[in-house]
Amino acid sequence: MQRIILRVLGGITALLLGLVVVTWLIWIPSAKEPGYVFVAAWGERGSAPGQFNDPTGITVYGGEVFVSDARNARIQVFDFDGRFKRQFGTKGDGPGQLGRPMNLTVAGDELYVADYWNDRVQVFALDGTPRRHIGKAGEGPGEFNAPGGVVVSAKGDLYVADFYGQRIQHLRADGGFIKQWGNTGKVGIWAGEFNYPTDVALAPDGTLYVADGYNDRIQVFGPDGKFLRKWGGPFGMNIFGPFNGWFTTVTSIDIGPQGNVFVADFYNNRVQKFTANGVFLSAFGGKGREAGQFDKPIAVAVANDGTVFVADYGNNRIQKWRPKEK
Amino acid sequence: MKKLMAILMLALVWNAAAFAAGTQYQMRVDGLACPYCAYGIEKKLKKIKGVDKIDVDLNKGLVTVNVAEGVELTEPQMVKLFKDAGFTYRSMTRRPL
Repeated sequence: MQRIILRVLGGITALLLGLVVVTWLIWIPSAKEPGYVFVAAWGERGSAPGQFNDPTGITVYGGEVFVSDARNARIQVFDFDGRFKRQFGTKGDGPGQLGRPMNLTVAGDELYVADYWNDRVQVFALDGTPRRHIGKAGEGPGEFNAPGGVVVSAKGDLYVADFYGQRIQHLRADGGFIKQWGNTGKVGIWAGEFNYPTDVALAPDGTLYVADGYNDRIQVFGPDGKFLRKWGGPFGMNIFGPFNGWFTTVTSIDIGPQGNVFVADFYNNRVQKFTANGVFLSAFGGKGREAGQFDKPIAVAVANDGTVFVADYGNNRIQKWRPKEK
Repeated sequence: MKKLMAILMLALVWNAAAFAAGTQYQMRVDGLACPYCAYGIEKKLKKIKGVDKIDVDLNKGLVTVNVAEGVELTEPQMVKLFKDAGFTYRSMTRRPL
């Protein structure tokens, strides 16, 4: 009898070990490229030029880095070496004023700001002149409930991550509603549903990538709007973790010059890089305050030369990284 | 007797000043994860008339709110507010400012 019990226990242990190995092989991929090296960091907590009080969004354009400085209710602009150039925006809800600016994008020589508290997308000239705003508070078509990120297509359409609206809205340049993904105000974990989406990115061919924040995954939709794929942990279904290819709250997404996908993996204190199809390539970062470490990286932007800029939220600074040479 | 009166008057003035200065509420909340959460809660709280100062400690799951004299935050009101913001309200303490 004792022998049978031992055999059964041995069998169960072998089965569990087998499952662990299979899980590891299937869902925990290894890096497929050398990764990135830390170049520089700038900023500290404060409200003076070059200081930050919650950097929450970042984008690059024409040799400049644009940063959402959320609690200071402003956008700060730097050159690629971190030298301060200008700032714009003040606290408030009037034209050109900001509540909590979040993820950013530049399109057609204009800066688009997801204005989380004011429930709108604000558009500025790159010198900071306010141009217009799109949307208002609400849950109707073209309305927002805390927009977290925005991206603009070549023909000027907007795609907006509507955080509390639990949806992605596709709008015309004038804000007219075209369509949406997700059920308004309802959290979901299945394909095409969202759990507090934070950001969006567009590939040149019109493929839409969504940072599905608390579902800990990326969702991808084709130019025709159809769901293509999702990734992040087993089955891309709200299973978080620290392993390669897994996430613990995704807060920002950008597409690199080669079409690769960069994701700010907030609670794992790293940035992860994937192919357009979601194959894990590399990751960089780690928790801390030293050079090359993050305290909750919240936003990521990739320049045309492959340099990556990261808004290091908890450390109130911006970090610059470049690809490791092979 | 004069001394006693003076102490009583002082206490009365101190209490009145404390009351006039408003109240601080501290609320424990489950599920706070990132600045999106903090800003979401702040956004909802600042819509309440009389709310002066809001501090959200993500690591401790603690929300501290100062309100003006005469303003009261109730438990049912906070339960709903935090539920709407996507979090679970746990408890609340209050003290005069």
